[in-house]
Amino acid sequence: MNSDGTVYGRGIKKSFGSKTVLQNIDLDIASGEICCIIGPSGSGKSTLLRCINGLETVDFGVLKVNGEHFGYYETDKAFHALSRKRLAEQRTKVGMVFQQFNLFPNMTAQDNIMAGPVLVKGANKKQAAQRAQELLASVGLSGFGDHYPAQLSGGQQQRVAIARSLAMDPQIMLFDEPTSALDPEKVGEVLAVMKDLAQKGMTMLVVTHEMGFAREVADSLLFMDEGSIVERGDAREVLANPKERRTQCFLEKVL
Amino acid sequence: MAQLITKGIDPPMDGMDPALKPRLRRRSVFEYASWVVCILVTLGILASVITNPNFQWDVVAKYFTHESILRGLVLTIVLTVVSMGLGTLLGLILAIMRSSTIKPIAAMSGLYITFFRGTPVLVQLIFWFNIAALYPNLSIAGTSIDVNALITPLTAAVIGLTLNEAAYMAEIIRGGFSSVGKGQIEAADSLGMSAGMKMRKVIIPQAMPSIIPATGNQLIGMFKETSLVSVLGVAELLQSAQLIYARTCETIPLLIVASLWYLVMTLLLSYPQSRLEARYSRSTSRLPRKAKTVVQSQEGGR
Repeated sequence: MNSDGTVYGRGIKKSFGSKTVLQNIDLDIASGEICCIIGPSGSGKSTLLRCINGLETVDFGVLKVNGEHFGYYETDKAFHALSRKRLAEQRTKVGMVFQQFNLFPNMTAQDNIMAGPVLVKGANKKQAAQRAQELLASVGLSGFGDHYPAQLSGGQQQRVAIARSLAMDPQIMLFDEPTSALDPEKVGEVLAVMKDLAQKGMTMLVVTHEMGFAREVADSLLFMDEGSIVERGDAREVLANPKERRTQCFLEKVL
Repeated sequence: MAQLITKGIDPPMDGMDPALKPRLRRRSVFEYASWVVCILVTLGILASVITNPNFQWDVVAKYFTHESILRGLVLTIVLTVVSMGLGTLLGLILAIMRSSTIKPIAAMSGLYITFFRGTPVLVQLIFWFNIAALYPNLSIAGTSIDVNALITPLTAAVIGLTLNEAAYMAEIIRGGFSSVGKGQIEAADSLGMSAGMKMRKVIIPQAMPSIIPATGNQLIGMFKETSLVSVLGVAELLQSAQLIYARTCETIPLLIVASLWYLVMTLLLSYPQSRLEARYSRSTSRLPRKAKTVVQSQEGGR
């Protein structure tokens, strides 16, 4: 069975010191599914996303990404951490887009996009440059390849960041509040790129406060609070008729 | 009431447009007083320096470009460059070790830095010069080396200065590393970059703006610090001057010669240093060199 582009979680727990940030998280993300994660700040949304990319490690529970245990291999008695090399390999299949873009300021837009394929995968420079051009065009930024991040607006930087992640040909894309650091008028251009991507069948997990995007694009929705998933279901269904009181309270405030 | 207002806008007495009158800074009495004192003191010192025959300015002039002084100057420059170069390299290694997640490696580097920054350079130099007393014979891969022959004053000087400088450079470089945002490291991680790749392509290039100006300062400091190795009998600038005045007893003029050279070299290094600092301190618009223009928000495609 092909399990590329899936995320499977059972009983995921995570704490920072004595503070529990994730408790008993179950996840079932199908290939090509667009899942939006919403909830108040500090609810563990970002941490959950970061676990799926290995920026944080899970304390307990099962986490399978693309059908493989992520960051660990299983034996009879324990999960053992993978070597850095194997972890890096798994990570290349999961793209991450950050709230603060995190483009490398010392590289041009094109070099940022080429960094992954050339430096990590050892791709041919010429082909990678060609691919970078195509990706820039696909996020509506052809001709911006030689611009440095400091010369681009926030929306443009975020679109380059999306292209940079896509350059690794990931099976899953994670978006951690991708539009929260943008001017309101630049939010649309980034969401448009994401919608585009969704239509192409990419599995996407999106932590967002953009309820409009969730309603329009998402298949499923998770509402998190205090480290647990409080409510889940079809995105439009949950947004229209939230069942849990906590979800109702939250949606009343943000909608 | 009306009278008061007209009083306020009396026609200008000298006919000058009040809108164009310069606004003068208020000067306090202390400002004038300090000018007077400063000028008097300077003149006094100058008069004494010129009229006191013991300064022997003719001797200063005679030795300023004396062959052995110039040779000493060259050696000082070589010592500075070599120790600084090796020290920076070792410092980089120490800084990388210090930021390692493997505890013993970080601790070893920390111990080194504490030790070499916590003891005087002069003591370290004398220590390295006498290292043969601790280890008379070093055997590496079966071949025995006579440490006494290996440690000449010059090698002791280079070792001492390098090891000391490495500790300071390690801290500077580590400071530069920590100025690179956490997000940058996470972005590199999420692309699957290895630790070495991350260091070379992401961390070091971005740490440079804070490392380079500080390194310039260290270089200037190192230039003066080399005078310490005169105690080992290395014929650098100060020692060359000392060798001459030991013979001729013209102590003060020769110390002036050495000081003038140190001053000249320091000033020569300060200019590029201040330029470097200015270039890298523009942190608000930290653009890479090749980028000339800032396009704040150009409507891109779409």
